[in-house]
Amino acid sequence: MIWVSWRQHRTQAVACLGVLAALAVYAILVGTSMRTAFSHDGLPACLARSQGTICQDAVQAFTGEFGSAVNIAFYSVLLIAPGLLGVIIGAPLVASELEYGTWRLAWSQTISRTRWLTVKLALVTGGLIVLGAAMTAVITWYRAPMDRLTGHLLPNIYDYEGLVLTAYILCAFGFGVLAGLLIRRSIPAMIAAFIPWLAIRLVIENLLRSHLVAPVTLVQNCGGLCIESGQNGGTGISAIPPATGRIGDWVLSIGGNAQGTQNVFTYQPADRFWSLQFIEAGIFVALTAAALGAAVWLLHRRPA
Amino acid sequence: MVQDDAHGGALALRAERLGRRYGQVWGLRDFTVEVPAGAIVGLIGPNGAGKTTLLEMIIGLLEPTEGEVSVFGTTSRAHPAARLARVGYLAQDHPLYRDFSVADTLHLGRAMNPSWDQGLAQARMDALGTPLKRKVKALSGGQQAQVALTMALAKRAPLLVLDEPVSSLDPVARLEFMQDLMATVAGTGLTVIIASHVVSELERLCDWLIVLTGGQVRVAGPAGDLLAAHRLLTIPRATPDAELPGLAVHRTDDDRHSTVLVRIDPARPAAQRPGWQADPPGFEQLVLAYLQRRPQTAAGYDTAPTATEVTR
Repeated sequence: MIWVSWRQHRTQAVACLGVLAALAVYAILVGTSMRTAFSHDGLPACLARSQGTICQDAVQAFTGEFGSAVNIAFYSVLLIAPGLLGVIIGAPLVASELEYGTWRLAWSQTISRTRWLTVKLALVTGGLIVLGAAMTAVITWYRAPMDRLTGHLLPNIYDYEGLVLTAYILCAFGFGVLAGLLIRRSIPAMIAAFIPWLAIRLVIENLLRSHLVAPVTLVQNCGGLCIESGQNGGTGISAIPPATGRIGDWVLSIGGNAQGTQNVFTYQPADRFWSLQFIEAGIFVALTAAALGAAVWLLHRRPA
Repeated sequence: MVQDDAHGGALALRAERLGRRYGQVWGLRDFTVEVPAGAIVGLIGPNGAGKTTLLEMIIGLLEPTEGEVSVFGTTSRAHPAARLARVGYLAQDHPLYRDFSVADTLHLGRAMNPSWDQGLAQARMDALGTPLKRKVKALSGGQQAQVALTMALAKRAPLLVLDEPVSSLDPVARLEFMQDLMATVAGTGLTVIIASHVVSELERLCDWLIVLTGGQVRVAGPAGDLLAAHRLLTIPRATPDAELPGLAVHRTDDDRHSTVLVRIDPARPAAQRPGWQADPPGFEQLVLAYLQRRPQTAAGYDTAPTATEVTR
């Protein structure tokens, strides 16, 4: 059964390796010049001494050169890429058997259809975990100089490092498998799986993520640099260092108190990266497990 | 745990009041039959008669709505794996993975069946001249059907179920397929159920017969017994059904005569009457008469005794 799964998915596996290779080539080309510029501009020493406050010009020159390439072209593709990858592999896994009638061949062999599905799911899931981890490693290496300026808690950075990228792929895959079993057509199943995946992905990123762990509130006497009461000073995502003064903190809100004597910040500290990653990845892995479990149960109960 | 029939032989297939409903419509209902091991069964019915529904329930791809079916004593609800091992299945349109090579397809059979006979599979491919390295999609329809049949055979299951195996093939490929099938199963003791809507394909192969129309069994039994239990009568047109020596299965009237297939008791041959001609029916005539037979009641149920009872 392991051989059967490999034979049926090897084209996809090769295509995924191709995507990974293309990503790696891009990352090495841009990443190498980014590293050279990073050292050349003297940023490591400046960051170590002052969290970037005494070399704002050099920081701005560097982010001006690489920030746009890093943040827009690369990451807008990467927002939908894990979902597309997951549903393209997941939806046809059962649906193509139903579309082409090969389920009658596959499910009439001595191995039961439940075993057939669980072995396939286990192997493909394993492959996707390896792929997700490899992509994460490539992106993390590539982003490393930029991460030293901004940390990796900010959206568009957080999403491709740590654990969540792999969890996003798995979740889209699970949705795809279940939709394929229910809809019995690959392309409609891909669409039906992708839309809820994207909705959940965006809701978690924009509404839930900052509150997965209660944010820290920081109150500072502001002297002459006070923010007016009730006015939101903006979260200053691109400010280096951020308003808390520590690189990597994710500032969620900035405001002034009623007397105009203090500034109030809420933020997620940089060292919460892994706890937040674990929680968010856990949510997506739980969704994956629910979808795949439902698919196995449905196939076991209602074969045709 | 093998069930026996009344004569002490093993039963390959036993179905009792088997039925499957799709929404409001019954695809098959009240299907009761006992097929002895070694029978070559022709399952004949028009498209939509419920043949595929029946076969998929036998294999376990479809759960019965009511009733029960067992294959060599293994019932539908218990031990799906045990039952899958007992049935080799060639589905309609012989589905195969199109981008697999023939060798890959056989490898799949070996990987998914503990009892797989690779020697048999390879010998068949050699004998048929099918190149192992060629992709399935590059094979002719006849070759694809042969590969699919080989998958079912090399599983070495005692029951072979073939669903319209030749309906998509050209006439030459049909003939070759049926000849090969006949030579392959002869003397092996395999029980075969072969579904078709073309009667002539089955006549030489089958020694058992099930006629299915509208989800109902019309007649079922060993072909020889069924033929012996029927007469094709040519009688004056005016003769009422009541005067016939048995149940009129199907009657066609022309200007002066009627031709009637009558079910008789073979132990008590009816007396000949002047002006009547009685001939033993041919296989095809018998089957066609049952296929053309009108349901006996408005509800669509055939309340007349079926030939299963006649042959007991």
